[in-house]
Amino acid sequence: MDGSSIDTFVFAPLAPILGLLLFWFIQLLFIESQRYMLSKIWHKHEPLCRFTNFLGILYQTACHALGYTITRSGISDFVISVDYGKVAPKKEKQGIFEWISNAFLFIGPFFIPALFLLAYFILLIDPSAFSIPVGFYEFFSTGLQNFGENIYSFSEKFFVFLSNIDFFNPLHFGFFVLLIIVGLGIRPSYIGETKKEKIDMIYDLKNIKNLLFGKPLYLIFLLVLAYIIFYISFFLKHGWYVALFSILGWVSITAIVALIITQTIILLIKNTDKLSRPWSVLPYLVIPVSYVIMRVLFFFYPVDFSNSISLIVMILSTTLITFLLLKYKTNKFKTKKSIKKAEEEDGKEEKRKGRRSTKE
Amino acid sequence: MARKKKEREEDLLKNEHIQRVLSPHPLSFMKLQSLCLFLIIWGVVVGWLVNFSEWKGLFSGNVWLPVLAWGLVLLLVGVVTSLIAIRWSVFFLYLAVFVSALCLMLWQNWLSESALFIPMFSVAVSIVGFLMVELYRRSHKYVVSNLRITFKGGIFTKEERTVRYDKITDINAKQGILGQIFGFGTIIPITQAGFGLGSDKSFAAGGVEIGGKKGKLLGIAGGGKEVQTPRARSYYELHGIYPYKEIKKLIENLVQDNVITPYQQEQVEFQKQQVDIQKQMRDLLKTQTKTPRERPAAVIAKMRQEEDDEEEEEPEEQEEAYEQEQVDIQKQMKNLLKKQIEVKEETAEEQDEEKEEKEKE
Repeated sequence: MDGSSIDTFVFAPLAPILGLLLFWFIQLLFIESQRYMLSKIWHKHEPLCRFTNFLGILYQTACHALGYTITRSGISDFVISVDYGKVAPKKEKQGIFEWISNAFLFIGPFFIPALFLLAYFILLIDPSAFSIPVGFYEFFSTGLQNFGENIYSFSEKFFVFLSNIDFFNPLHFGFFVLLIIVGLGIRPSYIGETKKEKIDMIYDLKNIKNLLFGKPLYLIFLLVLAYIIFYISFFLKHGWYVALFSILGWVSITAIVALIITQTIILLIKNTDKLSRPWSVLPYLVIPVSYVIMRVLFFFYPVDFSNSISLIVMILSTTLITFLLLKYKTNKFKTKKSIKKAEEEDGKEEKRKGRRSTKE
Repeated sequence: MARKKKEREEDLLKNEHIQRVLSPHPLSFMKLQSLCLFLIIWGVVVGWLVNFSEWKGLFSGNVWLPVLAWGLVLLLVGVVTSLIAIRWSVFFLYLAVFVSALCLMLWQNWLSESALFIPMFSVAVSIVGFLMVELYRRSHKYVVSNLRITFKGGIFTKEERTVRYDKITDINAKQGILGQIFGFGTIIPITQAGFGLGSDKSFAAGGVEIGGKKGKLLGIAGGGKEVQTPRARSYYELHGIYPYKEIKKLIENLVQDNVITPYQQEQVEFQKQQVDIQKQMRDLLKTQTKTPRERPAAVIAKMRQEEDDEEEEEPEEQEEAYEQEQVDIQKQMKNLLKKQIEVKEETAEEQDEEKEEKEKE
């Protein structure tokens, strides 16, 4: 057995798994950064945070219920509120069934909501995005390459769509709304006055670790299953194995994009909080107004890439207006008064106060 | 504003002061608002389908097609919503919108322009709908005072209902998901008279076959069931009030303040017994102290006759009887006082224990 056959039979099946893990870790980073940003605006936007909590709990509870349904445990109790969710099975099943339903509870919220988004995109917007250009591979390096190419081919179509999104098209608009809803709730962490340990990403990660290493037999079983699928697809010269992980990679990319877009919105909210009314409303008005003006303009004077240009104008005008408002209506950039001058003035005032007090 | 405040103050009873004046949260009538929202969304979608979508060719041949598609979906959603909500008003509302659009198009010969008319009509009707819902919401006013809750409302006909806290037997509170997010909720005070209670009716029926080979009788038999459930019109409940938790606590405290506690009930019972004993004592004293002068002549004559008949020992017996009765009454009083002290001590102990538990917590 030479080195290449060891690579094929031992390391090659791991290639797409590692690729997927990389995307998942990027997703986790974005989730944590979103949690941090939301916790910063919590005091001023309690309803928004409560809404994100509700979405997070909804996805978690729905995934858990799905786990019980798949393992045929049944559902006897299903409760969802803004800060609490509970699913109880009809039959308490042990062993692999319990493990699977727990896997749905802890891993499901990271992937299943984004899977719906992906399904919406492929079924209603661009069915051609569901194509796996390269499948069959023999070695670890080619496996990584193939996985990357599959991810790239999907990402290209996805980003072309995003840069040409037409908000006057109900399907596109619906996708964007869903993207925001998924992005806000993909974070299984509770934002509120008190910390809720059970609704937290770190808690989930701990549980995932326990799930995998607590019962290593199941983990080995899953790995063996992955190796079997790889060997079958290898001998039949089919790309099923890499296709399976590529789809999970697409889900992860969709989730990352949803998280980035929602974080941009949260950033806008955070910045407009520094402005006083009515100036704080202005950036939100600029978004639809600039877009509608551009679209109407391009309706009468058609040009190529009108959708993209409208989007760029919308984003740039909103950014510019927010920046100008922050510059002239607040002292965020410290341009109104230099720190030195402010300190000097403070020193003078303190001196004056001191003199007054000594006179008295 | 000042006039309204003055009017409110004029309505107050003696020793009454207003705690809070409330009105429903803008999102608390979401059920009604969502009807308008659906109308607007579907109208815009139809406009897009007919004018801009890749399927616009389907609608180009026939002017009736967009109208029928719009109307059918509208009515279908109306039927489904009515069945879910068990309120046919939704269906009839959408039917009225559809019929009025159809009549307007036929009257003004706008049928050929239906692709433009449908979205515009939908948006216009929805805006009117939103305004009406807002008007309806603003017509609600709830005044929470230290003595009662006054529910006021009505756009044209003014309705008013008052519930005193001592008449409230139960409080039903509910908060939907939207309420949990935005912090509003509904509180229904239920009274002994059944104010705040509605009923859900369910009816089950099935075919029945009676008879043999010679003759058969077919019919339908069934039975109904009525279940009492907390429900009231938005005018008669604290509908969608904000901040929900604060108001709920305030009302619960006000109800509690007006409800007699078990300790107070016991004290009232003791006082009643004391009064009874005192009455007995008074009657006894009266009979003891009554002099012959105060008695009517006939009674005196009768008594004298009796005295003549009886032996001389009788007055002593009477006095002994009086004394015995006095002792009995005093014993009763003693027992009562003992009981009162015991109850007081028990309640004091309970309070101490509760305090200790709280301190431990």
